[in-house]
Amino acid sequence: MTIRTRLSLWYATIMFVALMVMGVLLYYQIIIEPREHAHKHPERHNTEQANDEDMFEDVTGIVMWCVIPAVLLSIGGGWWFMKKSLAPVARLTQAAEKISAFNLAGRLPRTGNGDELDRLTEVFNGMLGRLDDSFNRTREFTLHASHELKTPLTILCGETETALRDATLTSAERERAASLLDELRRLARIVDGLTLLAKADAGQVALKLEPVRFDELVRDNFADAQILAEPQGIRVELTACEEITLHGDRHRLRQLLLNLADNAVKYNQPQGRVTMSLCRDGDLAELTVANSGAGIPPEILPRVFDRFFRGDPAHSQAVDGSGLGLSIVQWIVSAHGGTIQIESLPSGLTTVTVRLSLGAAAKTA
Amino acid sequence: MRVLVVEDEKKTASFVRKALQAEGFAVDVCHNGDDALAAARATPFDGIVLDIMLPGRDGLSVLRQLRERKNATPVLLLSARGEVNERVEGLNAGADDYLPKPFELAELVARVRALTRRSGENKSTILRVADLTLDTVTHRAQRGGADIELTAREYRLLEFLMRSPGRLCGRMMILEKVWDYDFDPGTNLVDVYIRRLREKIDAAFATKLLHTVRGSGYLLKDQP
Repeated sequence: MTIRTRLSLWYATIMFVALMVMGVLLYYQIIIEPREHAHKHPERHNTEQANDEDMFEDVTGIVMWCVIPAVLLSIGGGWWFMKKSLAPVARLTQAAEKISAFNLAGRLPRTGNGDELDRLTEVFNGMLGRLDDSFNRTREFTLHASHELKTPLTILCGETETALRDATLTSAERERAASLLDELRRLARIVDGLTLLAKADAGQVALKLEPVRFDELVRDNFADAQILAEPQGIRVELTACEEITLHGDRHRLRQLLLNLADNAVKYNQPQGRVTMSLCRDGDLAELTVANSGAGIPPEILPRVFDRFFRGDPAHSQAVDGSGLGLSIVQWIVSAHGGTIQIESLPSGLTTVTVRLSLGAAAKTA
Repeated sequence: MRVLVVEDEKKTASFVRKALQAEGFAVDVCHNGDDALAAARATPFDGIVLDIMLPGRDGLSVLRQLRERKNATPVLLLSARGEVNERVEGLNAGADDYLPKPFELAELVARVRALTRRSGENKSTILRVADLTLDTVTHRAQRGGADIELTAREYRLLEFLMRSPGRLCGRMMILEKVWDYDFDPGTNLVDVYIRRLREKIDAAFATKLLHTVRGSGYLLKDQP
């Protein structure tokens, strides 16, 4: 029950009781008292007997025709009045609902009249400010950290590569240097991914939006996915690919497709399957990428988009990657104003569904 | 070929210089923007490797100054920020290429080589490495007179490799030129395609043409 309903009911009940008491008092005053009076003076009894009955009906009438409308009026009035006085709370709720980790800079509107709600808004805004501050600091920290890592990484990669070119190295030394370089490059990719996400969080990545033939990108990606899947004997299918043009950033959409395909192959089993499809659903483009494999337990499913989240530690050791692929996918989707969903059946079939708007211009994120 | 390297980070400047020298380039190094402008004024370089983040005058400003002075020396920009916008901004300011840090050395060398020989690029429509030929008009590939079936992507990869025979091609550069990816996808896409291409052009022949250089890239050459 909302506060508004509760208050209105209370109010109506009190009103009703008050009016009833008034009615009873009136009845006593007008009917009972004259009657007792008449008992004391029996000579006026007969004439006033009829009078009494009239009066009784009058009082019942008054109660019927005044108390009930008054109660109804008070319910209606109370309902309206509550709405008016609780409107700032509703506005506050609405404004607070719109605030998430990504738009903490927003503040709730203040009425400025100094009442309790205004005071609450002020306190709430203060809290938002502090939250915003700490979120920003975390973002800046990630951004600065990833920038700072790039110079030493450049040197490390460069020096290792230079060492690798040294013709006097023995094959064991060369192998060690090459392995070192592989790991350094992996580190470089992680730092790259982190930089991208930190910038995206700070709203510093502008998408280059243009009309894109999404089906062509999907077909292109299908060809790459087949090649990626071949060494493990995984079969890749494109079950549908409708002609779809949408407003998006070509490079980021290709990155999205490749990351999804790459995941579908990596978390698969030998001789497994990957099924992709692109369909139009009203004014949405619906892309699905499904893969066989070990499946994802329901309790960790909501966390797979988290940065550096690794589901099963035993399994993830075997899978090479930055741990940021799905986070980047999620960012690309939301930057295009779309939604992403992941489902995993106990049979091991995992399906990622991406829905992108065909018409509306995507926002920059 | 003489190249100017403008990089304030001494160690980076040093290994870039070594790598370019190993490729037969004469290399000059500057550590700040003003020195770079002075050097570019005094010497006609064949190419400039320019870091964007420099103390004082930054790389983009140096680039604009150069272009204002009608200096058309090809410029490769380096940046630790690696933003898509920055790449566009750099190319608009007159840069010829852009490489985000941390880069692969083989990548940088390949790009500098591509920049400095840009004018003299092989314009022939028939590319040839040993007994492997590729017709860029009909997209027909042959080795030892036998036709080789290629997918569109394999064709582009082979054409890219055949345009610089005997030269090491970095993975990022291949992704950029053959796939048009402006990001490092972190997959072994290139490796797998190279493997497939190798099956098609090398498997049946004693002389292997397509080579992988561990940690650096790939090259097509006719001697082992």
